[in-house]
Amino acid sequence: MTEFINEEKIKTALAAKFHGVITNAEVRRRNRVWAEAAPAALPEVLAWLKSEGFHYLSTVTGFDEGENLGAYYHLNNSALILNLKVKTPRANPVIPSILAVFPVAVSYEKELEDTLGIKVEGLPPGRRYPLAEDFPVGQYPLRKDWKVEDYLAAEAAKKTETK
Amino acid sequence: MSKITIPLGPQHPALKEPENFMLVLEGEQISGATVNLGYNHRGMEKAAEARTYIQNVYLIERVCGICSHSHTTTYITNVEELAKAEVPQRALAIRTLIAELERVHSHLLWLGVAGYEMGFETLFMYTWRDREQVLDCLELLSGNRVHYSINTIGGVRRDVSAEQKAEVLKRIKFLEERTQYYIKVGTEEPTIAARTANVGMLPPAVALERGAVGPTARASGIARDVRKDEPYLLYDKLDFKLITHNTNDVFGRLVVRVLELVESYKMINQLLNNLPEGPIAVKVPMKIAPGEAVNHYEAPRGEDIHYLKSNGTEKPERLKVRAPTMANLQSVAYMLEGGWLADVPLVIAAIDPCMSCTDRAAVWDQKKGKMQVYGWEEMRKLGIEHYKRRGINFSRL
Repeated sequence: MTEFINEEKIKTALAAKFHGVITNAEVRRRNRVWAEAAPAALPEVLAWLKSEGFHYLSTVTGFDEGENLGAYYHLNNSALILNLKVKTPRANPVIPSILAVFPVAVSYEKELEDTLGIKVEGLPPGRRYPLAEDFPVGQYPLRKDWKVEDYLAAEAAKKTETK
Repeated sequence: MSKITIPLGPQHPALKEPENFMLVLEGEQISGATVNLGYNHRGMEKAAEARTYIQNVYLIERVCGICSHSHTTTYITNVEELAKAEVPQRALAIRTLIAELERVHSHLLWLGVAGYEMGFETLFMYTWRDREQVLDCLELLSGNRVHYSINTIGGVRRDVSAEQKAEVLKRIKFLEERTQYYIKVGTEEPTIAARTANVGMLPPAVALERGAVGPTARASGIARDVRKDEPYLLYDKLDFKLITHNTNDVFGRLVVRVLELVESYKMINQLLNNLPEGPIAVKVPMKIAPGEAVNHYEAPRGEDIHYLKSNGTEKPERLKVRAPTMANLQSVAYMLEGGWLADVPLVIAAIDPCMSCTDRAAVWDQKKGKMQVYGWEEMRKLGIEHYKRRGINFSRL
């Protein structure tokens, strides 16, 4: 795919700079580069990308793939979007915080903790986001095994108990 | 003077999307501000996983009451990319047309709100009266004023007839004249300058660091606009300028939005006069092969970005939505710091937040030693009175 010069350049540079850390780097279409990083190296990789012109972290998408939980970091350099994926085992999901590199990520990281139960190491404590204050602790609605029906049934049962 | 922390928000029963600001005050000046969100989390991302792609169009439309077209277009672009659908040119042109009409209605709405927060109520009355013209255009083209539902997977639901085109052009011509008046008022009226210049400062370096988007970033001299950076729909075929301003304040945000109106009218004229012929939609299968897509879109408030993952069924595996206000709130916290309490309503309104629900501020009166709770209305009055004492009075105009 020689027509994607800029895309190929950043892909190759990223893979060369972080040999063994970055896997599955690919250009899927014009202006879209996808890659996967080892979680431990995440802040380091993002810091390098920021210095290479990816000033802007558009958002972070958390996901549940069954065995693994994880997140996509969507970085933007005004021309192309680089989607950096990190995975962490479901049994003990931990991702390092990237606040030192992108202070704007605070809401996005809280979202990972609140909706998927991924521990973000280094995220300062504070009020929860985005779930309601009275939402049960330890329930992570964006996980695939979390069902709205079960939640509603449990809430209804609580109400009858209090009566 | 000792520091006091006051909450601003989160509830307003009449408006959507509440949020809370914790303001640290030294007298009337703000020395720190933090933003607390989440009062209006509706679980849409989870809800989307339980609905089919076509049902989701109508769910996603309801993410926002003002940029409803922005969200569905971003979502649908992702779906069409995954389904490898070739959308007809005419459908893309109609989507672009609605997108620009939406921007006009949103910017006019903002101009009114800004006027209102300044205490310049005549401006509010004028812009909201004129905004009816663009809402009529949207109703004429789509059947609806707010949730246009023009988008469907593979194209648009309604075509544009010759009569509709003539009617829209007529109204846009009227709006072009009115906007010239707003440019004059906005840039030459000393009272507006006095209320907005050097208020809510956001230097370019901070805007970049805090990831500001849309008119908020462009008023700090950052030339970021998805329509230019990665043209989607038909933006690469349209002739328009990217508007930036370098005053970094509320005044700059006003100038950027008013000048963008002119660019939008230009685009609406170009689109209606050169509508490509052909069908308005193609059929797209219900089930979509596994894949992932990310697309962004320049909504009236800034970059809107969606991630979509499909799994081979008729329902998405994961949908992520990030609206522009979310990206701009970090900048608001900065803009408030060092400013006056009286400027808070205007500064928050200046990013055109998709929530405007910062009601109920409590202020600690040190002399009386008691807590006083302000509503948005009282906060606004405080701002207007504060400036009246300094000789800035719109009621004399």
